[in-house]
Amino acid sequence: MIFTSFNFLLFFPATVIIYYLTPVKFRWLTLLFASYFFYICTKPVFALLLAGVTLSTYIFTRLIDSTSIERRKKLLMQINVCLILFPLFFFKYFSGINYAILVFLESIHVRLDLPDIKLILPIGISFYTFMAIGYTVDVYNEKIRSEKNLGMVALFISFFPLVLSGPIERAKNMLPQFNAIKPANYEMIVQGLKLMLWGYFMKLVVADRLGIYIDAVYGHVSQHNGTSLLFASILYPFQEYADFGGYSIIAIGTANVLGINVIQNFKRPFFATSMSEFWRRWHISLISWLTDYVFTPLSFTFRKYKTWGIVIALMITFFLSGLWHGPALTFIVWGLIQGILLSIEALTNRKRAGFEKKHNLNRKGWYIFAGICVTFILFSASEVIDRATSINEAYHVFHRIIATRGTLFIGTPSTLIFSGIGLTMLLLKDFFDEFLPSRMLLFGSKHKFVRIMAYSSIIILILLIGVFDGGQFIYFQF
Amino acid sequence: MDRTAVINKLTGIFRKVFEDNSLVLTDEMTANDVEQWVSLTHMLLITEIETDFAITLKLKDLNKMHTVGDMINIILSKFETQ
Amino acid sequence: MIKKIILNIALVGIVVFVLDFAIGRTLRYFYFRESSGLHFRSTYAMEQTRADILVFGSSPAVHHYIPELFESTLNMTFYNTGRDGNGAFYQLAVLKSVLKRYKPKIIIFDWSDTFKKDVSSYDRISSLLPYYRTHPEIRDIIEYKSKFEKVKLLSEIYPFNSEVFTIAIGNLNVNKQRKPDNKGFVALYKEWQCKINAIIPNPKYPVDTLKVNSFREFIVLAKEAGVKVFVIYSPMFLKFNRFQEFDICSKVCAEQKVPIWDCSRDTVFLKNNRLFQDIGHLNYKGAVIFSKQILEKIKTENQVKTPTL
Repeated sequence: MIFTSFNFLLFFPATVIIYYLTPVKFRWLTLLFASYFFYICTKPVFALLLAGVTLSTYIFTRLIDSTSIERRKKLLMQINVCLILFPLFFFKYFSGINYAILVFLESIHVRLDLPDIKLILPIGISFYTFMAIGYTVDVYNEKIRSEKNLGMVALFISFFPLVLSGPIERAKNMLPQFNAIKPANYEMIVQGLKLMLWGYFMKLVVADRLGIYIDAVYGHVSQHNGTSLLFASILYPFQEYADFGGYSIIAIGTANVLGINVIQNFKRPFFATSMSEFWRRWHISLISWLTDYVFTPLSFTFRKYKTWGIVIALMITFFLSGLWHGPALTFIVWGLIQGILLSIEALTNRKRAGFEKKHNLNRKGWYIFAGICVTFILFSASEVIDRATSINEAYHVFHRIIATRGTLFIGTPSTLIFSGIGLTMLLLKDFFDEFLPSRMLLFGSKHKFVRIMAYSSIIILILLIGVFDGGQFIYFQF
Repeated sequence: MDRTAVINKLTGIFRKVFEDNSLVLTDEMTANDVEQWVSLTHMLLITEIETDFAITLKLKDLNKMHTVGDMINIILSKFETQ
Repeated sequence: MIKKIILNIALVGIVVFVLDFAIGRTLRYFYFRESSGLHFRSTYAMEQTRADILVFGSSPAVHHYIPELFESTLNMTFYNTGRDGNGAFYQLAVLKSVLKRYKPKIIIFDWSDTFKKDVSSYDRISSLLPYYRTHPEIRDIIEYKSKFEKVKLLSEIYPFNSEVFTIAIGNLNVNKQRKPDNKGFVALYKEWQCKINAIIPNPKYPVDTLKVNSFREFIVLAKEAGVKVFVIYSPMFLKFNRFQEFDICSKVCAEQKVPIWDCSRDTVFLKNNRLFQDIGHLNYKGAVIFSKQILEKIKTENQVKTPTL
């Protein structure tokens, strides 16, 4: 069940009540049952896969800790990583590889009847697989001792706020919390509820409303002029932020209500002044996972090539990041572009830093603003490729943006008006959080009246202009 | 090599890599405390350390380096094993 | 502490309830005060019209049947209840509300929906939400939308979700010029410039039995009320075969002994792009020709049924 379904609005309060009625010692069991119930409601048969990945990870991490032979530890770690990556590759990339093989064979005029298998992706597999891999590698690197309790490992991998779409958490943060669940903490519960409310606002009022317009334009690229395509392309990063960011905030809020702390996944990304900074604010859990488990080992291996070693490591890391999104050429190209942009920044880092220091630019408002604009333009341009269904279509979009003009497509005026209201509220809040954190506090106001009115107003706004039908979370089939 | 010598040499390396002559190292210092010290520049720092101290670090050593204090201890341990 | 949380949640709940009630009731008042536009036409169709001839359907219905031609030829009053994007469920609901008030003489059922299982058909039931409270005869249809619809409808605002702006505009006189309609008919004036396309028929799709039953129930109810029903497939500027749909449709019509006219293969239209505004809709020129064709067919049907001596 997804967070924005009515089923979840029934499941969650019921779970919270049962959770807090359970004696503290056994609350982790309640969470485990709730998590498997949650996953089975979504797709029963794939719960077996989830259990399989869990069992494998448990066994191999215990084996790693039971031996002191370095070579054996490494082998055990590598075997488990391969084992749990296999289902991910199979479900996610099999049809892509199948298709690529067919295309290649056709190009050399070989006719082979390979079965055209359409596979449904097990929900959440891209997320929980990474969590399991991270745990395995952390045990190998002695960052954490292997967990003796299978149930705890099962809970870590299946924890329902995170299992479908992250944030991708680390065992080092989660297992100690599950092992020492504390009694109810009022502030944390309230914070969790506030986060959930804001997340629902982001998803239902901003993301899904923007999506209606963007889908209308991108769904018929050849029928829209450059002006409309440009406008839709500018809006798309905001949709993604509100969608995935909103969903992450609901996940974090849900965990908080249950007394569990979870890593932040988005940190006002549109205020980044460089692509490097952007990637420290956008999908933080994935990037930090890739940094720790891919980039760092790779850049360490290539360290004798100094900055060029970093470039190689970046390109491979972002190639994999692109691939993680799906087996499509658009995602791979998108990933490579991020790698190139970051490499350029890495290669020019010293010169830029020196220049900025010399002219004291980092404190100048106009320079920060220019950095924000350039970063946004670079990111939104790369997102055209991500949004398009093929490289061809992406090229088409860019071409039409440059070559054709015309009147802006409006569709139904309500769509843009409601989007405008929601997006303005979201960006204003982020602006204040970024630059003036103690001003304009609504959810965090000292005055109870202001807080109550703020929560109520957001709920009413969701009822008035939230999108309740047909809205699907973009990162869902991951 | 003793601890003070390591700290002095390390300070020089930090100042060179991050181009900041005012940097003063403390045991508790982490990457969060230095603006330029991010994953993209971390490996440059590591390479300089390896070259200047004439030691070879392992990936496992990196995983244990959470603070400057950890860094100093690991560097010292390399001299003990040599 | 539990007390504190429950108290605060209750406090927010009360404020939300009050605001929801006040705003929702205000929206309801202005929704039913609209004097033009989609909402007005739905309300008029369900609560006011007493026309002898009614047209039902989605967007082709709205743009293909010219009131003056029907009124002058058949000497009867006419109203078009069609609504863009709304299929079998909406059409059945409107019929039920109509039959509760009076019995029209003729119903033209312009059928362009599919019997395919798809979520958007259920999403579109939101057009009927404002009528849930005052039209008990259509509540079962509205509840098709989702199993939690009853709960959602406890909110006064929910039926008017996303409609704030439309309700406001619908109350302004300027809207009558912006989107003029003539007894529910909306004329289109552009001409389609492209060549005709052909679509290869899709493989068999899973049938939504609820839709089929709604389609059947529409015809059964109309017939039981003594209404003459004509089921029509409007012209489209597209070459394709609706095998599965036509099969189901004609089976039901044969069962209920209701004429079904497939005008989607009429070469008068297939050969002339200038009669269309786009591939799914005739423009005014095309609508004139089409309305006259339908009128001829209706007259012939009537003569066959009641031969003059």
